[in-house]
Formats: sequence, structure tokens, C-alpha cells
Amino acid sequence: MPESLVCAGCSLLCDDVAVAGGRFEPECPLGAEWYAACVASDDGIDATVDGEPGGIDHALARAAELLRRGRRPLVYGFVGATIEDARAAVALADRLGAIVAAGGAGALGGPWPGAPAFPLRGSTSATLGESRDRSELVVIWREDPESTHPRLLGRLGLGGSNRRLAVVDDRDTATARLADTRLDWPRERDGEALAALHLLARGGERDRQAGELRERLQPLWRRLDPVAHATFVYGAALAGGAGGQRRALALQELARELSHGRHVVTLSLADAPGIRGADDVLTWQTGYSGTVDLGSGHPELVTATTPVVEHERVDVALRVEDARATPDDVAVIALSSRPGAGTPAVWIRTAPAGVGAGGTMHRLDGVPLALRPPQPSVAPSAAELLQRLHETIWR
Amino acid sequence: MSEIRISGGAIHDPANGVDGEVRDLCISGGRIVAEVGADARRIDAHGMVVMPGGVDIHAHIAGPKANLARRLSPETRGTESEQRKRILRSGSGGLVPSTFATGYRYSLLGYTTVIEAAAPALAARHVLAELRDTPMIDKAFLILMGNNQVLMELIRESGGAVSPQLRDAVGWWLAATGGYGVKLVNPGGVEVFKQAGGDVDGLDDQVPGHDVTPRQILEAIAGAVHELGLPHPVHVHCNDLGVPGNASTTLATMEALSGRRAHLAHLQFHAYGGRPDPPSLPRSRAPELLAYLNDRKELTCDVGQVMFGDAMTMTADGHVSAVLRDLDGGKWVNHDTEVETGCGIVPFTYRAPNYVHALQWAIGLELFLLGSDPWQVMLSTDHPNGGSFRSYPKLIRLLMDRAYRDDQIARANRKAIGRTALTDGIDREYTLNEVAIITRAAPARRLGLRDKGHLGVGADADVTIYHDRPDDREEMFATPRYVIKGGELVVEEGELRRVDDGLLLSCDAAFDADIDDVLAPMFADRYTVSFAHYPVRDPALREPATIVRATP
Repeated sequence: MPESLVCAGCSLLCDDVAVAGGRFEPECPLGAEWYAACVASDDGIDATVDGEPGGIDHALARAAELLRRGRRPLVYGFVGATIEDARAAVALADRLGAIVAAGGAGALGGPWPGAPAFPLRGSTSATLGESRDRSELVVIWREDPESTHPRLLGRLGLGGSNRRLAVVDDRDTATARLADTRLDWPRERDGEALAALHLLARGGERDRQAGELRERLQPLWRRLDPVAHATFVYGAALAGGAGGQRRALALQELARELSHGRHVVTLSLADAPGIRGADDVLTWQTGYSGTVDLGSGHPELVTATTPVVEHERVDVALRVEDARATPDDVAVIALSSRPGAGTPAVWIRTAPAGVGAGGTMHRLDGVPLALRPPQPSVAPSAAELLQRLHETIWR
Repeated sequence: MSEIRISGGAIHDPANGVDGEVRDLCISGGRIVAEVGADARRIDAHGMVVMPGGVDIHAHIAGPKANLARRLSPETRGTESEQRKRILRSGSGGLVPSTFATGYRYSLLGYTTVIEAAAPALAARHVLAELRDTPMIDKAFLILMGNNQVLMELIRESGGAVSPQLRDAVGWWLAATGGYGVKLVNPGGVEVFKQAGGDVDGLDDQVPGHDVTPRQILEAIAGAVHELGLPHPVHVHCNDLGVPGNASTTLATMEALSGRRAHLAHLQFHAYGGRPDPPSLPRSRAPELLAYLNDRKELTCDVGQVMFGDAMTMTADGHVSAVLRDLDGGKWVNHDTEVETGCGIVPFTYRAPNYVHALQWAIGLELFLLGSDPWQVMLSTDHPNGGSFRSYPKLIRLLMDRAYRDDQIARANRKAIGRTALTDGIDREYTLNEVAIITRAAPARRLGLRDKGHLGVGADADVTIYHDRPDDREEMFATPRYVIKGGELVVEEGELRRVDDGLLLSCDAAFDADIDDVLAPMFADRYTVSFAHYPVRDPALREPATIVRATP
């Protein structure tokens, strides 16, 4: 029996996937779309320079020239990057004195939901199997994993007899429709709800709750109060945007308070499969998570609230395994399986990780998984290209 | 590879019975040799002290928990950053430095081998990747097995005996991960904490849902490690860490293990008298533990000395971190790993005026100073739990310099000191040879690293050369004059001259491959990672490595 494949269609990195007779199994629309895109991308021209097709060596020479000339280089992306790609990227950034942004070229929100709040108080979390086997209640806060991580609920064991799903949202999402308990709650009052639940968890201060608020939270609280183990699932809808750090902090404070006499964990729903691992690499190589400036010869944390391209006056950007939009007025060197948005000054096609190239990715809960490419590509991986770029710049 | 003659140094090589003998030491092909050619580079070591490279038997330097700790403490990280240089990567400091900085800093202290003492098997791929980014040192990691549900099931099935299946499963796990040895952390207790908070109470409490006791886990896995003949015996973080009265649990653990080789981690944290419930002020029971240890040469320990100042507690024993969380009210990380283990992280500061902290500090010194056999009591701070590895020179000075030690004792909580042997004054000052034993010879021997920790012909040419500074042992051990790693000069006068990637140390225990048939269905029931994807096979992570043979 052939080895199953690890799907990098989302950050769940399901490792029980098989593609036979054109069918992607177990069924998953995101996974099937990802696989088809990988297969389709693994053919065609090798590279472009200013939009014109060319060879890899020519493209590397141009990329090297741009990076040598750049005054303020940025290395970013990592949406589909492996650990090996990220290790090579941060090594190159260190030598260049570049900024590395594990969370994209923007600045708000951090590399994964909840990351900016983490250094303030920490977090309580677990791998998927812990939640699946122990949590009597899973509370999904304003996320719709049925759309974004289609196999999450199954992998958390929901649908079984002893586990209950509660959803906090004011949208009628596919996930909300599966909930045992729904709390119809507006986004702008998330912080208030989390603080109120925190007070309920502290017990003695229940009477301080305003009646209406307490009344509305009771259905959720009645589910939460008696359980020995619970998981909160959250993502960018809670922890992103203005006030996201404060709301993520409030969730962690609630989980912390609840973790007396019971065990409560949280699960952050990262969207892209490569970013969690890239941020792990950035953290172990530099000591910092998120956006790190290596321009002064040692790592410094960048905490700007404006997009890093503007704030740091970036003039050349190396985009690694990411097809998202290119910042304006910046020469972009893109290493990815598809050219992606905009017209990069240089694009070099990479083997798509998971289908054409191997390596390691870190699942949304931090578990590392080896990719087992079913169709090894002749195209190089991003890690190989980064190594060649390194040699081209300093030969 | 270069040839080197280290000329005229005072050699401290206790594993070979050499105590300060002034003679030449020769290096060729990465090994200690009897003689080298006339063209060999000559290092003038007259007036200097020559020791094997340091071996840290118990530290936490890599893997998910170290990385969470880095993420948790950006405010501490800017101190003493590593500047990018021609041959060096940049990095950041703090209590849990970035990987490159960790390697550089160990090397600058004269250490050449470090053991990551607690790795979740499920995260082995992450641990290996970090270790590959930690240069200058040879390194190994120990796999957490004391709360592994699959192993608990096998122990339950055998009624607590060492079954062939258990032995093969332990061997399989080491082979699947590249781990060097087996670590037990609060056997059974971490599983209880992950269920709904709480802990086991002593060695004979049942682990709910698994029908085994901590004693059975301890005895069965220690037995399996023994039967496999692993180079390093079972490495135990006892139950009840930090709890007043826990010395009774530690003694019971030692009794349960007696007759088998075992290493007890950070004994200081397990050497407390007093009542657990209601908790009383702890007191020292270090002398009792030492007396027991002294009669059982099959047992060794590292101390886990706390140093006054900032620390980062990080442990697989999540219950302990939850207790610290409530003591301190500050930052707290908890991360549970399915089937296998937990993880807790709490930044902490040990303060000399605080009774408990001063007692912990004093108990560590008692373990060092009252022990009669330095081969059994090894130096560690359980980095970074008791303090950074960078505090080792200060700790060595505390052991070698009574006047300095007395000065430091006078600054600590008097009530706490009054309840330890330090109150009477202890004359003992460690000799250079004793320091060489507790920092390199004994750890290497205990790890089963026959080519390390000594300077006999054929040994790895990992050598540290210090200026002899009787007036300031801290300065002496903080700034080696030369460090030679694998036969190459890597540090000179406090500067890194050459980068060495360091090797992974793995062991190859023989086991019956049919254990796959037993484990595969157990994995399917428990893990969210498939059995086929679990083992780490990538050559880029597993190689190059030094494979140490198990000898059943």
C-alpha cells in the first residue's frame, strides 16, 4: 500500500490523504484544490525576469544583483514554505542584514492568531489528539473551520457521543449550524463576553455581572462550568485587527482562570500551512517571533503598527513560497510554484512542497510532519534556490 | 585535520588518574594521540590547566519548549546579542538564547557536549532541526517516556513487569526519533495533570484510566532500558518536584530503582523535608539522600543548583508550572503533547532573602559539598530552570573558594541557611580534579560516551585550556584560553575562531522489528499522526551522527 500523503491545503496538515484515480480522499474541498493546483503548477517555464521567460541561472543572477543593490531588503511570505525553506531564508536574511517577516509584508496580526499576545502572558494549548481525547466541550470563537479547515471538527472527535460543540458567532456559518450550543454574539462585544466569562469562572464575583450580559452568556457557561476538560478554538476573527491582541489576551486569561480544577486549552487556527513553522525557525535562529530586523548585524524585534514595507522603507523583497499580493514600489523576487500576484522583477518556479518537494512543516498545533511528495519534481525547492542565491551573491 | 601539541600544561584527566601532571598532550585526526610530528602546531600551555571539554549532562536547549520560552521572553533577549561576523551567525541572548548563540556560548565556556534532557518524541523532528542549528557542540536528546500512554498500556498488560514488548517499544522509540536515551518525568503524574489538573500522590497512586502506578512505570521502563543495554541509564525526574517532604518520594524512587543503574535529574529540587499538606516550610534532607546515594554506586545525580537571579522554569511536568503560575501570577505557558507528555514554562526569579529560594540554593551546595563521591554528583543548574548555563563559572567558584562562598552565604536568608549544614561552615573546597570530574569526566562516563570526558589516547580531541587563576576561579572558568573541538582550535582568548557544526549523538539499541505490529494499531487509536509518518528518517536531520552502541 502506498504511503499516505501529507496535505498542505491548510494548516491542519492531514497526513492520511491518498489520491487514487483522480479522487482526493478523505474528501476535502481545500485539499483537492491544493493538490490540483500543485500538479498544475509543476510544469511550464522555469523563471521570469521582468515578466520575460528565462533560465534559472539568469534569474538568480538578476535576483542577486537586486539584493546586492538593495538598501533595505525584506524576506517574507512562507505561506507554503517548509522548515528547510525557512532555515535557508533566515540564513540568507542574516547575511544580507534583511528584515524577516514571518507573518507577511503587513504588520498587524502577527504570524499566527494570538502571537502578539503570547509574550504578554503566555498561553495554554495542546496538540489535536489531546483535545480530541479529553475535551468534553469545544468552543469555537468566531471561526468557521468547516470552510477554512474542513476536517478540523472530525479530527477533534466532534460528532461523537460525549463531546459537545459550542460556537460563538453572529454569522450563520456552516460550523455554527453544527453546534450543540450557539451564542449569537456581535464581534464588537467579544472582549466584553470574555471578561464576563472570566468573572463567572472566578465564582465569587458573579453578582457583579450585569443581568442582561449574564443571562445571554448562561447557555455557554452552563456547558462550560461542569466539564473537566475544554478547548477554545480561535483565529484571526478574534485575535486579528484593531484590538486583536487585547481580545486574544482576554481569551488566554479566561482559559487560565478556568484551568483551576479542570484543564482548559486553546487552539489557534493559523490559515497558511507554512507560517507556523517559518515563525518557529525565525524564533529559534534569532530568538524573536514575527518580524525581525537583522539590519544592524544582530536580531531586533520589529513592533511597528504600520506595514513593514512602509515603516522600514523596504526597497527589495524576497518572497518565499507565497502567491499573495506584492507591495507596491518594491522590486520583488519571488520563489514559488506559481508566479502569484503582481509582476515580480524575478520569479523562479519551485517544486510545490508536499507534492513535488519534500521537507518538514509544522502543523497548526506545532506538531512537525515530514512531507512525502508523491510526484517529485525536477524543479528545485525554495531551500535549494535560496542556497544557490546565497552562493550567487557572495561567490 | 591539523596536528596540535599542547605543551607544558597541567593535565587534569581524572578518568585516567591524572591530577595536574605537567606534560604535553598531542592531537591528530580529531583524536588524542601519543605523539605528533615536528610540524604540529604548538600551543604553549605553561602555567595553564588542561581538561577534557565540558559535558553538560542535563540542560534544556532545543525543541518546542525552548522555543516557546524564547517567544515568551522577548524583553530579555536583547541583552548581549551575538553580532553577525564573517564566520558567525547573529543571535540573541537571555536565559534561552537563540540556537546559534547557545552553541557559541557553550563553546566559549569550554563545553563541547550538551544533552537536551527532555524531548517529546512526537516533536523529535523539531528538536533535531534546532540541534542542527546549534553549532560548536556535540549533542544528544533524551526521549520523554514516563507518561506515554502506549508504554503504560504495555506495562499494564504485563502487570508491571519488563515484557519483551515493552523493551522493544522503548528501542523502537529511540530508533524512530534519533533519541539517545530515556527520560522519565513525574511518571504518571503528567498524565493525571493533563486529564483535569492535579497530580499523582506518591509512587503507588493509580494513574486514572491506565491502571498502572508511578512505581510500575519507573521499574518497568528502567528495567527495559537496562535490558536494552543503553549507554545511558534511565534518567529520572522524580515525582513531587518542589513539594515539601518530597525527599521521601525521592528515597522511595531510589529504592525502587536500586540494583539498576539510574541517573536522578536535578536532585536539589527533590531533596526537601517538611509537610506537603497543609504545606509547611520546607527544610533540607540532602544529607539523607546523599547517604543513600553513597551506598549505591549504581545511582548518580546532577544537582540542579539554583543561582540567585533570573531563571526560566521549563519542564514536562506541567503540574509544577501550574503551581508556579499561581505563586507568581505572571506569565505561564502550558502545552500538552498527545499520548506522551506535557510542558509548562514560567519565568522565575530566585531571591537571596527569600526563605525557600535560599534553602534551595543551600541544598544544592550541600549536595555538592557533603557528597563523598564526585563521580555520583554532577554539576548542573538544570539550565535554565535553576539559572543559565552561563552561571557555571560562578557555581564552580562557590565550590572552590570557601571565602567567596561564605560571603555569598551571608547574603542569603539566615533562617534558611540555619536549617542546613552550611550554617556550621563547610571547609571543603573542590580541587581542579574534582571540578573536572563533575563537569566532564563523570557526565561522559554516565552517558556512556567512552571517547569523551577524558584525555587518554584515542579519545575525542575535545580539550579546554584555562589560565590557572586561584584568585578568581569564576573568571578562570568563564574565559578559557583555548578550546579545541574535534581536534580543531575553535576558541582562542575568548573569541570564536572556527565554526564546528557538532555531531548528533544517537544510540542503536537492538529490538525486534515485529514490534511494529503491536504499535501500529495502538498508534491508530491514540495519535493524530499516522504510524507511517511518525519516524524521523531524513538524513539531513539524522546525519552526521556518532552512533553509540547499546550493549545488552
